[in-house]
Amino acid sequence: MLTLSEIKSVKGEAGNFQVEVLRHPRYVDEQKCIACNACAEKCPKKIVDHYNMGLAKRKSIYVEYAQAVPLKYRIDPASCIYLTKGKCGACKKLCPTGAVDFDQQPQLQTYDVGALILSPGFKPFDPTDFDSYQYAKLPNVVTSMEFERLLSASGPTMGHITRPSDGKDPKKIAWFQCVGSRDVNKCDNFYCSSVCCMYAVKEAVIAKEHAGDDLDCAVFYMDIRTHGKDFERYYDAARDKHGVRFLRSRVHSITEISDTGDMEVRYVTEDGELKVEIFDMIVLSIGLESSEQQLALAQKLDLKLTDGKFCQTGTFAPVETSRKGIYVCGAFQGPKDIPQAVVDSSAAAAAASEILSPSRNCLTKAKPVIPQTDVRGERPRVGVFVCSCGINIAGVVDVKAVTEYAAGLPYVEYTTNNLFACSQDTQDALTQIIKEKNLNRIVVAACTPKTHEPLFQETLTNAGLNKYLFEMANIRNQDSWVHKNNPELATEKAKDLVRMAVSKISLGDALEEAELNINQTAMIVGGGIAGMSAARSLAAQGYQTHIIEKADQLGGQARNLYQTLAGEDVQAKLDEMIAAVEAEANIQVHLNTQIANVEGFVGNFKSTLSANGKENVLEHGVVLMATGASPHQPTEYAYGKDPRILTALELDRKLIADDPMIKEAQTAVFIQCVGSREPDRPYCSRVCCTHAVDNALHLKKTNPDMNVFVLYRDIRTYGEKEMAYKKAREAGVLFVRFSLDNKPQVTVQDGKVTVTVIDHVLGRPLELETDLLTLATAIIPNKDEKLAQFFKVPMNADGFFVERHAKLGPSEFATDGAFLCGLAHYPKPIDESIAQGKAAAARAVTLLAREKIFTSGNVAQTDPMNCSRCGVCVSICPYSAPSFIAQDARMNPGKAEINPVLCKGCGLCVASCRSGAIHLKGFDNDQIFAQIFSLDEVIGQ
Amino acid sequence: MSDWEPKIVSFLCNWCSYGAADLAGVGRMEYPANIRVIRIPCSGRMSPKFILAALREGADGVWVSG
Amino acid sequence: MANNVIGAAMVVGGGIAGMQSALDLADSGYYVYLVEQGPSIGGVMSQLDKTFPTNDCAM
Repeated sequence: MLTLSEIKSVKGEAGNFQVEVLRHPRYVDEQKCIACNACAEKCPKKIVDHYNMGLAKRKSIYVEYAQAVPLKYRIDPASCIYLTKGKCGACKKLCPTGAVDFDQQPQLQTYDVGALILSPGFKPFDPTDFDSYQYAKLPNVVTSMEFERLLSASGPTMGHITRPSDGKDPKKIAWFQCVGSRDVNKCDNFYCSSVCCMYAVKEAVIAKEHAGDDLDCAVFYMDIRTHGKDFERYYDAARDKHGVRFLRSRVHSITEISDTGDMEVRYVTEDGELKVEIFDMIVLSIGLESSEQQLALAQKLDLKLTDGKFCQTGTFAPVETSRKGIYVCGAFQGPKDIPQAVVDSSAAAAAASEILSPSRNCLTKAKPVIPQTDVRGERPRVGVFVCSCGINIAGVVDVKAVTEYAAGLPYVEYTTNNLFACSQDTQDALTQIIKEKNLNRIVVAACTPKTHEPLFQETLTNAGLNKYLFEMANIRNQDSWVHKNNPELATEKAKDLVRMAVSKISLGDALEEAELNINQTAMIVGGGIAGMSAARSLAAQGYQTHIIEKADQLGGQARNLYQTLAGEDVQAKLDEMIAAVEAEANIQVHLNTQIANVEGFVGNFKSTLSANGKENVLEHGVVLMATGASPHQPTEYAYGKDPRILTALELDRKLIADDPMIKEAQTAVFIQCVGSREPDRPYCSRVCCTHAVDNALHLKKTNPDMNVFVLYRDIRTYGEKEMAYKKAREAGVLFVRFSLDNKPQVTVQDGKVTVTVIDHVLGRPLELETDLLTLATAIIPNKDEKLAQFFKVPMNADGFFVERHAKLGPSEFATDGAFLCGLAHYPKPIDESIAQGKAAAARAVTLLAREKIFTSGNVAQTDPMNCSRCGVCVSICPYSAPSFIAQDARMNPGKAEINPVLCKGCGLCVASCRSGAIHLKGFDNDQIFAQIFSLDEVIGQ
Repeated sequence: MSDWEPKIVSFLCNWCSYGAADLAGVGRMEYPANIRVIRIPCSGRMSPKFILAALREGADGVWVSG
Repeated sequence: MANNVIGAAMVVGGGIAGMQSALDLADSGYYVYLVEQGPSIGGVMSQLDKTFPTNDCAM
């Protein structure tokens, strides 16, 4: 990890780049800094805290926030008194480890790498120059980023929303959407930033949660764009349940009401009425843009940019830049939300891995295996190491007394006190002492096991001791740091914690980590765009891949698409893709094939494939679900009553076939949200607006005299797709909005198709006689419950698969070894499907590349002697780890056993077992009881 | 009885509350020293027997958090 | 092995996207350099309070 670093130059080509990196000094030695905060406490220089968007102050020596990684302090050279004036140096004098080093210099280093991935992010738009919103002038006009900090429990107000001007609790807050987005008058950002609608809705909901229902939240918007998974439901709940007001209006000016800090907002309602409202706080929903540094980086690397100044990529290669071997992901590829950024970043990793795969494992280091000492049957010989952590612990707790006390505890053979137990020299000493004193259990009384247990466990392993023969007593985070005014009680507590740890670990055993071979074959269910993209990536990375397709050809829904927004011919591209899949030696395609049965688990699945009445078994290590979706068949808008009424995909098929009906049409009408955003299907199908706008534009180009109408609820051309919407309006396509309770009426009479809609500007009915009516039908997942059960993967109410995590795990399931991509996850256009196919492949490779997996030693195990076959564990386990042994097995038929590979060690089954037949290794009943029983010394006093 | 202090035993889930207790330390928040923490892998690990045992050992209160 | 491909990658930017790429590549058997201009990784997401639509804490 190279922090405080920037790229200076990139030479070479894909597979062999030389990258020059300039590393700026931190002025703090990362090896020595223990993040004790002593330096920052005494630093006399206070400056503006950028992490808190300037709403708070911090010191010149600082960490950005308490959870920062690396948790190492840094001196800001621009404000440090010593570095600017040569005086002070308080931090250097105070630092207990001598980590402060004012003499560090910038370093220029060259690294050889095979591929580069750019993920430089974005810059929140700066609205200072917008005089109409007076951000620079009025303190109570804040940006959405500043509002995030105000909402945050770790922010400057600890999550209590107050106005910057006077600290008053606001009663009325307004959000202004599209500040720095969809705007070519006040700035050059024509594009939609994609995320602001949703974050504004979120901020309004959370603000109401914090401040109560009395808080009035109003969002001023042009179109609400909640096109992500479960976003529409969130928007509905914000409006209907939380009472957030949504006003379709672009505010043209605000004026401050003198001295009160309140602001008068003038806006025009949809029916043209001028209204005035007073708000105490205004949040500007600022957009995303590429920063100057990013553009400079792109120039240095000679990369092409889009009109919106994002990195240019292609529909069919969504993470590849214009330079081979350099990939892009995140908001630099186009404004996007977190899940989409995570999808892209895995996709970029896959793309890089495709070219790097010949050198896989060449530069990573394999750890030497150190033989383990067998301690079974030995009397416990415990070593206790008490850490002073500089003054962090020793400044409060009497560490000498604790060390002496520990020496008197049962089974303790050795005790010592260390200045820093985590330092490298202590690790070496620890290894030495374990061997010399023949210790077989170790207790370290120091900070928290959450950060330091792995370090000490590695030391144990290096000393030949099983890493589970280790316990920590948390005498810093949960003792010295929280009882600093009570040293006596803190010392008592430290003794207790050490005693509890010793009594627990004395009962601990060496634990084995189950080893499991991963079958190196992948199975992909579904041969559409997403499935094929995943297959090609896996194959290119050297893995045998099987595509299971129930239809008689590959291609899925893309078979019905005419062209992409960029004008690429989908059918030609699809044929190329299918040809590439068929030519790839590592891919085997199974057409007309269904999955009849699945056995096994991660690494070792056995799927029974059924084709033409014949069955055979495929063994594979991972599964990727790319089962796709289908168009909704409408029952409204007179669909099926006239050949001129088509679904969007039917229109595309006619375009592919070059049907004369299209060219001859005088009037074309598109109706949006057919079956989407309805009470019984409350999600947005994401692609239809862009698709309709693109086709409307195409019709206008084919025949400029054609009257083209798009009837819509909100136009959701997110990201740079907004350009198509802008062009369509410029080309004369007419957009007419309708609401859910006033949908257009379609009649077929006397050979005429007539659409009637209430015009939102005039408020009068508009009658359109049309030769072509296109219905933007919803995307409905191919709900296959049998398949979901086979792989134990969940589906949501709409029938889409539920990913591991909505933000951080969009392309995989919570179930190990199962991954997800394409429309089966959520509706998405071709580029996003391809990216997610690659992403699912990347995630699968992280498992395949390990070849073997070791599971944790802290797992549950049944004792068949005591098992009563009640089945509570089997039904209660969230990970499906327990199962019954077959009735005809020779040993313990019908009893429960737990698969250590699937067990996550939560202990739910242990606590639920009515026979006491399950043991959780490392947290067994007797160990926890030992901790409880050793409490009584304190309590009994 | 005025200086009586209850003895509290707490069972904290490794993934949430135990981490929160660590963060309380990072934030240097202060709280009374008469609490003893037992780390468990998940609050699902809790068994009523642990609570009873703690009370029998003389604890005045048991706090399970996860 | 007879090839001149270097089995290492560089990820520029330590936000959520960069971290995910770096982790995926490291877990796939490549050496990864994660380059970040600031003093710590995490990017803009670490500044957010909660995330939609689940209201999970962004931290």
